[in-house]
Amino acid sequence: MIGGIEEFVDKEKPEGYYERLIAELEKVNSKLHIFSSINRQISSGIPFSVKDNICVSGVESTASSAVLEGYVPPFDATPVERLKSNGFGFVGKTKMDEFGFGTFGINCKDHPRNPFGDSYVTGGSSAGAAAAVSVMKYHIAVAESTGGSISCPAAFCGVVGFTPTYGLVSRYGLIDYANSLDKIGIIGRSSRDVRYAFDIIKGSDSYDTTCVDHQINGENRKKLIIIDQLMANVDQDILSSFDKFISKMQNLGYSVEHRSLPLIDKALAAYYIISMAEASTNLAKYTGFKYGIRVNDFSKGYNEFFTEARRNFGPEAKRRIILGTFVRSASVKSRYYEKAMRFRHMLIDALNSIIKDGFLISPTMPIKAPAIKEAEELSPLKSYSMDSITVPPNLAGLPHVSFPYDYINGFPVGVQLVTSHFNDYALLDFVQGWEEEFNYRFNYDVGAI
Amino acid sequence: MEDDDFDRLLKTCRIKLEPGERKRIKDETTQIIAYFDTIRDADCDNCLPSYQPIDVPARTRPDKVEGFYDTGKLLGNSKIYRFYIVGPKI
Repeated sequence: MIGGIEEFVDKEKPEGYYERLIAELEKVNSKLHIFSSINRQISSGIPFSVKDNICVSGVESTASSAVLEGYVPPFDATPVERLKSNGFGFVGKTKMDEFGFGTFGINCKDHPRNPFGDSYVTGGSSAGAAAAVSVMKYHIAVAESTGGSISCPAAFCGVVGFTPTYGLVSRYGLIDYANSLDKIGIIGRSSRDVRYAFDIIKGSDSYDTTCVDHQINGENRKKLIIIDQLMANVDQDILSSFDKFISKMQNLGYSVEHRSLPLIDKALAAYYIISMAEASTNLAKYTGFKYGIRVNDFSKGYNEFFTEARRNFGPEAKRRIILGTFVRSASVKSRYYEKAMRFRHMLIDALNSIIKDGFLISPTMPIKAPAIKEAEELSPLKSYSMDSITVPPNLAGLPHVSFPYDYINGFPVGVQLVTSHFNDYALLDFVQGWEEEFNYRFNYDVGAI
Repeated sequence: MEDDDFDRLLKTCRIKLEPGERKRIKDETTQIIAYFDTIRDADCDNCLPSYQPIDVPARTRPDKVEGFYDTGKLLGNSKIYRFYIVGPKI
């Protein structure tokens, strides 16, 4: 399968191509609410979109939060700058759960709708990013994952969502959620599109001292490992479909091994403790007088002023600030936050030992894309539990990819493949092999030539 | 979580909740903390805390004077008095 981007580069673009692209995109956006802004000035390059928590010079970047309304960064994030310098054209900012706080993409104003059915969620938090890939023929999305924010929407929107090893892509210009977990990645319509963009954005950056310049491997492994605990809460129709996929992989020469790893059941709690602790400190900088919303009543005392500014956070952000502040409190810090950090070390060791000669494989999500109404009715804890499969590789900083393997009742379902740190190319090679057996389906082809 | 403890936590966070919202978020917070307690059984006290999931070399940028962005743009969102950002009283 030829990647769409390579085809686009080679093709002669008809006159007025970009004007037509933007007109079509605006029409689709009025129905699906994918973009927070569309760049009407685009006149060349391979179209790329940017999740709203990644800075683009001169374009309002709010992480879909009212707190940051009006914030216009005067600089490009490093991945954005690299794409712009290498033949890509910025097409728009994509909507997301506020600051990345969500599983379904519904924690923001006028949230995105799934291109396979507009009363269904896109998944989150890179909700608009995955939906944009699903509707545009020639395009890649720059997205970000903390606990599954690339894999989940990629699975629900039927596209390839790639989360690289922690540290391989610079986070300079990212509006942080949780520093020890955030990773910038790529969503595309094929493994080749993803690789094309990843090769441009990866690599060290003097502006991000946590970004590493490490050799990236592509060591193929012929063993697929299923951790039984990850399959415990998967819906029956997804399990049946996943079993068929595994049989196909066996026919293609892969061996399959089931493993038990009871400690993985605690990964979700560890993830939410660490991520909320880090989020609660990161959000402290939104004080109402430097970024975004400005509180104009300077007669107020500091505490009152700060409290007034923070009224603009959405309910999920408030909840995470409260919980994150709690787990960092002096009296309980060792019980929650430090314990979670120790647990992460143990999990990384355990996962590294299991995947040293194989790929970890599972459905990406335990459910199909739910209806928006169903997702809105879930309690926060139930909603968090939907991240049980995407959290372990994110907590461990392991590279992973979600790609579609089937369609159930017209909706795509995704499989998640995980490998060792810095073996990222092996994931994209695996997906490329699968693409020889699989036909992607899309309901939209905006920008087709 | 007791009411007093929750109120103290809200004050620390500088978060003010409306009465209906307060009850709902307090109940949800209590439920989520009970879930967090499941990590107490994990046998990991002998492991060192993992501050980053991979080894990140401890390095900083060398100090150098560098031309920066237009400071007017950087401060554009703020109310400015002379060279200062105007903020609330302390």
